[in-house]
Amino acid sequence: MTLTIWLQAILDGAVIGATISLGAIGVTLTYAILRFANFAHGEFITWGGYFALAALSAFAGWRDLSAWLGGPIEPFSFGWPLILAALTAILASAALALILDAVFFRRLRRAKIAIASVIGSFGAALVLRNLVVLGYGADPEYFSREIQIAVHFGPGLRITADQILLVGLTAALVATLHLFLTRTQMGRAMRGVRENPDLAAVSGIDVAGVIRATWAIGAALAAVAGVLIGLTIQLRPSIGFDLLLPLFSAAILGGIGSVYGAVLGGLVIGISESVAVLVIGPEYRAAISFGVLILILLVRPQGILGART
Amino acid sequence: MAEPALSLRALEAGYVKGVPIVRGVSLDLAAGEILAVLGPNGAGKSTLVRAIAGLVRRFAGEIRLGGKSISNLPPHRIVAEGFAYVPQLANVFADLTVEENLALGGYMLRRGRAARAARVYELFPDLVGKRQVKAGRLSGGQRQMVAIGRALMVAPRVLALDEPSAGLAPIVVEHVFAMIRRVAEAGTAVLVVEQNVRAALAAADRALVLAEGTGRLAGTAVDVAADPAIARIYLGAPPAAAAAPAEAGP
Repeated sequence: MTLTIWLQAILDGAVIGATISLGAIGVTLTYAILRFANFAHGEFITWGGYFALAALSAFAGWRDLSAWLGGPIEPFSFGWPLILAALTAILASAALALILDAVFFRRLRRAKIAIASVIGSFGAALVLRNLVVLGYGADPEYFSREIQIAVHFGPGLRITADQILLVGLTAALVATLHLFLTRTQMGRAMRGVRENPDLAAVSGIDVAGVIRATWAIGAALAAVAGVLIGLTIQLRPSIGFDLLLPLFSAAILGGIGSVYGAVLGGLVIGISESVAVLVIGPEYRAAISFGVLILILLVRPQGILGART
Repeated sequence: MAEPALSLRALEAGYVKGVPIVRGVSLDLAAGEILAVLGPNGAGKSTLVRAIAGLVRRFAGEIRLGGKSISNLPPHRIVAEGFAYVPQLANVFADLTVEENLALGGYMLRRGRAARAARVYELFPDLVGKRQVKAGRLSGGQRQMVAIGRALMVAPRVLALDEPSAGLAPIVVEHVFAMIRRVAEAGTAVLVVEQNVRAALAAADRALVLAEGTGRLAGTAVDVAADPAIARIYLGAPPAAAAAPAEAGP
């Protein structure tokens, strides 16, 4: 195998890893602030994608708006309708997460039995996934059936404009999240609640408000991941479930609770899965990422960027 | 007559319903006054102050701040009413810088956060050069300064400190209590829960001694220090005067 093939696998893995990172940030934030592993988080990715699909269908049915918004923006495969649909999906997913917390998880939290929230999240995931199947069926859906030609990206490497956008958008969102966490009072409050909820409360921080912000931010990032998966691959009701283990692997690998660790973990998982396909075939893709996870945890049990407790 | 800064009436509180740890405690604390809450281990001192802060369930009784009931408010609303609490352990955000700790202390302030922080740095000049240092990397004394500074960001009506001398060198304890006196002189009512009886009584105006969750002895710091009953309470034997619960009031 030539170097180009290896580099192409790494590039493809970075694209997949960027999507995993967006989902893993939500997993790690939820774990750090709400203190439970939310197995329903993958479904926010699915719902985000399908919310955007529903919005796109609604825009398409509104002829005047559709004509005004126009066609694809070169060199991408999509235009303003998908951008508006993505914004709608972000808001709708954040609202879904807040409703889910208000009617379900908040009650479990009050019971102060951590395992109840974890098992409850399994149940919520099943309900959410099957609601998508009920509405859209199990067949794949696409935002666009246009074929996009990949462009040259260095010697022998190819990537589509949508994939470049995916990586760029992920980087921009991570940078924005970094600024939010370090420069805003709500961001500092989230870090405070993550470290010590009681101290945060007696500092005047509305911990319940911080929890709501955590749900909304996690679900919004997951919705972006869902839209990007729909854009670059396809939408299926099982995408959230299929991504669940990579999401948790990325969050744990990077150091649970660390946003930057989740990003790094997502890239490591994405690239190792992609490279594994070249070495031992696609059927062992998941096993390789877990092998990497185990190896890194043996050397650094707290994860790459996690703090020792 | 002015309302006390803090007033408790027959407060019962604890972690499990039906098992009160604080049992029928009453006290009044005036502005600018320092009240030391003393007692042996397990007397309910920390639970008392955590109950006022809204972190422990109140089963009965009333808590008033400046005449307004805060009995049913959540912790962040109690802070907004003017009660600031410095816990004994984990009293700073270790992963956050000194500046960020102070910013979080003033979380509920809409404006004037920088001016309040400047006042804290005036009170604790040692922190000026440590603004960008994570609180977890500071010495014990500096951490205590950050913890008190964080609480002072809201210019509280009442400042409650749980064991501010714990784990500190004697010279640092002296410094911390000097700071507490300065805070009280500026008009803030201070409630200090302490194991260090000598240091607490030296700084306090009045004292309340708890045992088994109830007030056993109350009076001026000088009177309590001279009362032989305090030794008996610390040694575990109920004093003769313990038949009626003691109430701390001016």
